[in-house]
Amino acid sequence: MFRTLKPFEYLEPKTLEEATKALSKRGAQAKVYAAGVDLVPRMRKRVIEPKCIVNIQNVKELDDVIAAKGKGVRIGSLASKRSIELSSLIKEKYFVLHEAISSIVSVQVKSQGTAVGNLCVATPASDVATALYVLDAKLNVFGPSGERQIPIDEFYLGVGKTVLEPAEIITEILLPAPAANTGGAFAKLVRTAEDIAKVNAAASITLDKGVCKDVRISLGSVAPTVVRAKKAEAILRGKKVDQKLIEQAAKAAAEEVAPITDLRSTAAYRKETSGVLVKRVLTKALERAQA
Amino acid sequence: MKKELINLTINGAPYELEVEPNLILNTLLRDRLGLTGTKISCGEGECGACTILVDGKPMLSCSMLAVAANGKNITTIEGLAKDGELHIIQKKFIEKGAIQCGYCSPGMILAVKALLDENPNPTSADVKKAIGGNLCRCTGYVKIVDAALAAAKA
Repeated sequence: MFRTLKPFEYLEPKTLEEATKALSKRGAQAKVYAAGVDLVPRMRKRVIEPKCIVNIQNVKELDDVIAAKGKGVRIGSLASKRSIELSSLIKEKYFVLHEAISSIVSVQVKSQGTAVGNLCVATPASDVATALYVLDAKLNVFGPSGERQIPIDEFYLGVGKTVLEPAEIITEILLPAPAANTGGAFAKLVRTAEDIAKVNAAASITLDKGVCKDVRISLGSVAPTVVRAKKAEAILRGKKVDQKLIEQAAKAAAEEVAPITDLRSTAAYRKETSGVLVKRVLTKALERAQA
Repeated sequence: MKKELINLTINGAPYELEVEPNLILNTLLRDRLGLTGTKISCGEGECGACTILVDGKPMLSCSMLAVAANGKNITTIEGLAKDGELHIIQKKFIEKGAIQCGYCSPGMILAVKALLDENPNPTSADVKKAIGGNLCRCTGYVKIVDAALAAAKA
């Protein structure tokens, strides 16, 4: 660990256009700075040595506002994880996201770090991403060729890799309106409370007269990106969900993931516990959908 | 590297400083301004020893660029005592034996301050959540939670 950072060119663009121009000119040499929580430690450790830092905190089109937009909710890209966790709008309509952020124990990391920054780090252990997968979130992006929208489950390419071009900036997260009778839940397993997940899981169930009209299940830390457990979802969709069916779906989820062994856990443990977590989040999500 | 001019408030006093963009906020506070109450330990946001309040919210001075603190209102542990009298949270930490080596204490105390500013009547569970990002390797956490609850009641 070094106490100092290598020198770099520092820019504070005032508009999105200025920011993307600066980023396009420098390509992979430049890094976006939104809060520093992830970026600065990696620079200290010399994991990355960017030649240019583009601080986007003063870009006038960017904000940290969490507010209703259309029938859903938008989260400005500068919103901290903590402000999302505490937002009554999020707690009421998207409880699974509140639950996921609450599971991150460091108030400092949550108060300083943005949710969008967490997504851009592209760790498959992201609690925020796993929750956003079941909420069917969309990311609005601004870049040199204008604006585009990326569904969250098309955002990741691998560990540390996303579909974002070097000069693209996420401007907001959009959460579609939750359907009536929808319940969601998040759970994770960790070595110590402060560590990142060995495995995390989220689920969202929508009921229509007791029948599962829609379901989404996501798992983190079991593949190079957060993944959907689509075979498990298929078992539940269109059926009247009971504990037996949940157990079948959980088993299917454990079978369809192919995790690795690393310092936090073994592949076998992750596979086994994927099923356990999916069972837990489905049970809770169903309870909440029925409430 | 071109220096940048920043204006910020630290413990109530205005500062106008010229900083290199690669200067870390923790280094600015400790080495340049002599505010060594703010510690540094892991340097990657795991331990909370470097905690400061930025606009009232607990943040990591080890993971923030000094230049990005432009316009911000910063409180370090040195800013808590008033007219030579310790803050009630500091007093309770001493009274309850919540300090041993003292290395985590500035960060712990500021994390507790951020909690009490938001929620003056916390439960023991609230306190544990509030210090979730702060590691202590001496006392364990029982006395720290006791001190925080005692400060809330005082």
